Amino acid sequence: MATSTTSSGGGGTGTQTFKPYRHLKTLKDHENAVSCVKFSNDGTLLASASLDKTLIIWSSATLTLCHRLVGHSEGISDLAWSSDSHYICSASDDHTLRIWDATGGDCVKILRGHDDVVFCVNFNPQSSYIVSGSFDETIKVWDVKTGKCVHTIKGHTMPVTSVHYNRDGTLIISASHDGSCKIWDTRTGNLLKTLIEDKAPAVSFAKFSPNGKFILAATLNDTLKLWNYGSGKFLKIYSGHVNRVYCITSTFSVTNGRYIVSGSEDRCVYIWDLQAKNMIQKLEGHTDTVISVTCHPTENKIASAGLAGDRTVRVWVQDS
Amino acid sequence: MNASIIDPLQGDFPEVIEEYLEHGCMKCIAFNRRGTLLAAGCNDGSCVIWDFETRGIAKILHDDECSSPITSICWSKYGHRILVSAADKSLILWDVMSGKKITRIVLQQTPLQARLHPGSSTPSLCLACPLSCAPMIVDLNTGDTTLLKVSVSETCNGPTPPSRNKCSDGITSFTPTAACFNKYGTLVYVGNSKGEILVIDYKNGDVHAVVPISGGSVIKNIVFSRNGQYLLTNSNDRIIRIYENLLPLKDEVRALDDLSGNHNDLNNIENLKAVGSKCLTLFREFQDSITKVHWKAPCFSGDGEWVVGGSASKGEHKIYIWDRAGHLVKILEGPKEALIDLAWHPVHPIVVSVSLNGLVYIWAKDYTENWSAFAPDFKELEENEEYVEREDEFDLIPETEKVKGPDVDEDEEVDIVTVEKDATFSDSDMSQEELCYLPSTPSRDVPEQQEKCVESSSKLLDSNNTGSPLSEEAGPNGHMMNHASSPLEDDAGRMKRKRKPSEKVLELQAEKVKKPSKSSKSEKPKSKSLADQDNGNGFHGGGLYDE
Repeated sequence: MATSTTSSGGGGTGTQTFKPYRHLKTLKDHENAVSCVKFSNDGTLLASASLDKTLIIWSSATLTLCHRLVGHSEGISDLAWSSDSHYICSASDDHTLRIWDATGGDCVKILRGHDDVVFCVNFNPQSSYIVSGSFDETIKVWDVKTGKCVHTIKGHTMPVTSVHYNRDGTLIISASHDGSCKIWDTRTGNLLKTLIEDKAPAVSFAKFSPNGKFILAATLNDTLKLWNYGSGKFLKIYSGHVNRVYCITSTFSVTNGRYIVSGSEDRCVYIWDLQAKNMIQKLEGHTDTVISVTCHPTENKIASAGLAGDRTVRVWVQDS
Repeated sequence: MNASIIDPLQGDFPEVIEEYLEHGCMKCIAFNRRGTLLAAGCNDGSCVIWDFETRGIAKILHDDECSSPITSICWSKYGHRILVSAADKSLILWDVMSGKKITRIVLQQTPLQARLHPGSSTPSLCLACPLSCAPMIVDLNTGDTTLLKVSVSETCNGPTPPSRNKCSDGITSFTPTAACFNKYGTLVYVGNSKGEILVIDYKNGDVHAVVPISGGSVIKNIVFSRNGQYLLTNSNDRIIRIYENLLPLKDEVRALDDLSGNHNDLNNIENLKAVGSKCLTLFREFQDSITKVHWKAPCFSGDGEWVVGGSASKGEHKIYIWDRAGHLVKILEGPKEALIDLAWHPVHPIVVSVSLNGLVYIWAKDYTENWSAFAPDFKELEENEEYVEREDEFDLIPETEKVKGPDVDEDEEVDIVTVEKDATFSDSDMSQEELCYLPSTPSRDVPEQQEKCVESSSKLLDSNNTGSPLSEEAGPNGHMMNHASSPLEDDAGRMKRKRKPSEKVLELQAEKVKKPSKSSKSEKPKSKSLADQDNGNGFHGGGLYDE
């Protein structure tokens, strides 16, 4: 049912032949669009968030449902795992964030403060802070222990689409529909650098590379760019997918070679070679836009989520 | 990592009080190796471990047996253990992760300072400097103490066996003697009341070298820099002296043996002084020649570039910062409370000082945002530059426009995974796991707050217009509002939460929202600000800025 086409562009590194990913399982437990999927940092669990107002925690090995987290009064746009894989934080259209205990499946804390839909969320590596971005154009930093908002950063003029901490938690990157991508100092909340400042197209997603030196940024003109934020120049461009409307997440795959993985509005998951920039594989099977992708931290496994016309989470593996 | 975007033009030392920490009455402080945790010993015998990044309490070490004031506090190398010395003559060793006491040893005298052996992650030896006795090495497993020599007498022939559990002679009972380990714990440097630095191999008690200080006044503190290359002494003659360590790190004992190889008689003062001159050489002297203050708790910055010392005068809280070349670069003035302890952050330009009334002040740089941060192609210039336009700049079709393409080779390999080792911690033994952070567990919400507030607050938020008082506090675009959660605020926040209208009142207001009326509109902003109260008193509890 699910086919995958492999395209071999020119100029690959050629040292390893790429073994294509194949479809492993389709998880159909959500009743509305799935907005986000993420593997836990220890790789044992997979969490998905949906517009059906719930989150589901799956066992990553057996792909069976472990918990369904109910409590939000509106749909959920994003989720994040704490570093020890014990807690999940979800960002919802009901203007709140919730911290859930992943083992027990219950809600531990509610973070209130945003004035509009909360769109994106992330823990810092020490998991002592949570950063969230919202349609109210602010970025808020929350203290995990007390649940209080420690900083409110007003740096954008349109909804904030993505927030992420770097490897040692000293920097926050934020991307927004206003076309800008900015880097903030965690301790003081000061603006350190503006990476992109065009009015258009909107920056729909941004995240740091695993070593914190580079930034992967997606813009709503079908483009993904890898930036060196120190020099302020981008080093690589990845294209071939469709991204004009939705804030599609992309990620790095580092378990077996270096790749960029992203969803797309043409219902496929795209995989590019990081260095050569050519598209290596296109995973087909979803029946609507693939809005979110996540890579397992140690195994060659990718999970992807589809919007309302699809409502599934699909898991793909690479045979060794 | 982010060094490339932080402005290098600002000096690297603190300038203002950023925040203060309050918990009981703290007496002494110590950073862990990376500066992520700050341990503070209190008047009631407990120790508070602060998460330095969130400025919240990470752990409290408390045991019923230990209830007298803490005189000093020290971390083990990788942050797993903390050693405290208390006024009831005891030394207590704690395990940080579990928060449990490992051992408690009672000495004959109150130890004023206790230092764990810096060489291993679970040290079994420590150096204790008691109130009126020679410094001693204490074995934490057995409780045995070995006194160290504090002077080399001229008339002595042959080594004298160290006396056990008895105060050694040659020292008046009133002067505490300062001592410290060198970087890897191979030697102990003792500063005695005659103004001499003795280099002692504590394993056999031999004094290998003597370095006399001119003037010969009592040495009050002796401390090494983090990299082990500089030694600082604070003497009664109100001068802080910096010595350069000439011995090779890790290999000191062998080097000393080589140096003293020709001199068989170790007890000959002249020979010891000759060896001493090859161990340490005077580098700089710092003093305040006008006010001639005594110094308290002097120490180095993390990278050894700065020396900081507190003024020991009562009633003032002054911190002097010198660069290693000897220039006084800054005097920080705090509130009018005497300073009792001082520490420089291992990595950042932050200084932490403890005042007599038990508060811990955090001094940091005064951050101003860089204009170059606001647009990708803004650059900061040191001075005005004349702009010389290109030859074809005003041409209709300038040729050089096309050459503006990327300077970057797009085919170059990009490494997204390798992390560079931080040079500051180059001596990390990677096989040892370092304790950098204590896990933060979110404190559970009280269930009623959750249920009732969900409905009422979302309705309030929906109908909230942007004219709410919160948005008035917004600074210019890009500026943050620092709701620093110092513990004083936590208390205030908690108090405010109690004063916040009960859930019933919130519900009532929510109902009023459904039928809008003038009175409820004026109430809405008030309740919204109470519901989101997190900025309360602002981030200083009044009047704590330096001049």
